[in-house]
Amino acid sequence: MNLDEILAEATGPSIPQSTLDLQELSRVWVAERVAPELLPWPETLMERVLAGIRRQVEIVEEQTGDMDSKTNFKLIVIQTELERWKFLVRSLLRARIAKIDAHPHHILFTISPTLASQSSSTSYNPDLLSPAESNYLHTHTALLSSHYSSSFLSTFPSALQSLDDTSGGISMISAPDLDTAVFVRCLEDCTVERTEGGESLILRRGDVWVVRWRGVKLKVERGLCELI
Amino acid sequence: MEVHTTGLMQNAKRVIALNRLLPYQADTVSVLLQGTRELNDSINNTLEEIQSQQSSAGQLGPEKTASLLVNHLCMRRNKRCLLAYHKVRTDKIDEALWSGKDILEDQQSQQKQQAGEGADSGAEGSNNLSPEEEEYTRQYGELLAAYKGQWTDIDLTGSLEPPKDLFVDVRVLKDAGEIMTEYG
Repeated sequence: MNLDEILAEATGPSIPQSTLDLQELSRVWVAERVAPELLPWPETLMERVLAGIRRQVEIVEEQTGDMDSKTNFKLIVIQTELERWKFLVRSLLRARIAKIDAHPHHILFTISPTLASQSSSTSYNPDLLSPAESNYLHTHTALLSSHYSSSFLSTFPSALQSLDDTSGGISMISAPDLDTAVFVRCLEDCTVERTEGGESLILRRGDVWVVRWRGVKLKVERGLCELI
Repeated sequence: MEVHTTGLMQNAKRVIALNRLLPYQADTVSVLLQGTRELNDSINNTLEEIQSQQSSAGQLGPEKTASLLVNHLCMRRNKRCLLAYHKVRTDKIDEALWSGKDILEDQQSQQKQQAGEGADSGAEGSNNLSPEEEEYTRQYGELLAAYKGQWTDIDLTGSLEPPKDLFVDVRVLKDAGEIMTEYG
């Protein structure tokens, strides 16, 4: 056990949960904005964050009647913080929706066990979306395909009517580019396999690297690295 | 046919560049659909011919295979172009709905204006959406409202700029009367 770990343990419990949540939310937000791929939905974190926001809204609503200048100032501080929380959540959700809309069929394949087993390029991951997002994805793709078919697809020969056709040389399912370069900061020592050349890269704690997303994806998910 | 597909693609590019919806190219689309049907018929005819000949001659000529391949690829190209064209347009519609613009209302007021001005201005600014697209707009609007309804505390369509200050500076230009703030 080194000095940092002892220090981390000593200071760990004294940091309030909301501060930890803020750190985690910021980290999730940055990662979601930077990563080319949709990241798993942070269910428990979001529950805590939303509950926190609701609590603060209640506090603000309760105390607005108070004309005392001291509480008034306190309220301004709380409201400003509230706006910042809301911005983080809003931006996170919008980034996710944008990714869902960009690759709807790819994500459908990922969250559906039967489709994922048929496809070689996607792996099954049921926790990728929140229930609301999955609902949105299903409804939106259904809407789009009914719009296309009523606009023109229905007059096409039946063999050419599908929207997720992979035959004929070009796959119709657009997938995110996993080779996009991302900036990562290393939180714990780890090695990353290089895609070309085969030699692996050793990341030391605290290092900042530009690497392909494909190589560090697992490390980020396990919390060994963070995207910046 | 080639002319029509490139025309559609140019139109789609213009939609992206101008950042607004142009009138729906219903004529081009229907020409393409007609063309695709003819291609399909011709493929089926060739296939039937081949089948009837195969019993007698056995071999099929290279010109037959070539025409089959070319016709088939043309149908695929038509499909891709049509899909791309419609996708660009629906993306534009989605974007407008997210930013809170009411396209349908804009369109209706436009139509009313035109009705007032008389029929001679028909071409200018006429119906930009196809009936199918109007339907899509309505339904996507509902979906969006339903999704947003789950995040009432957050106001999803709010500003994506990080908040700097709780207050904005306002210079009162006109007497606006009493203004209700968020918390009373």
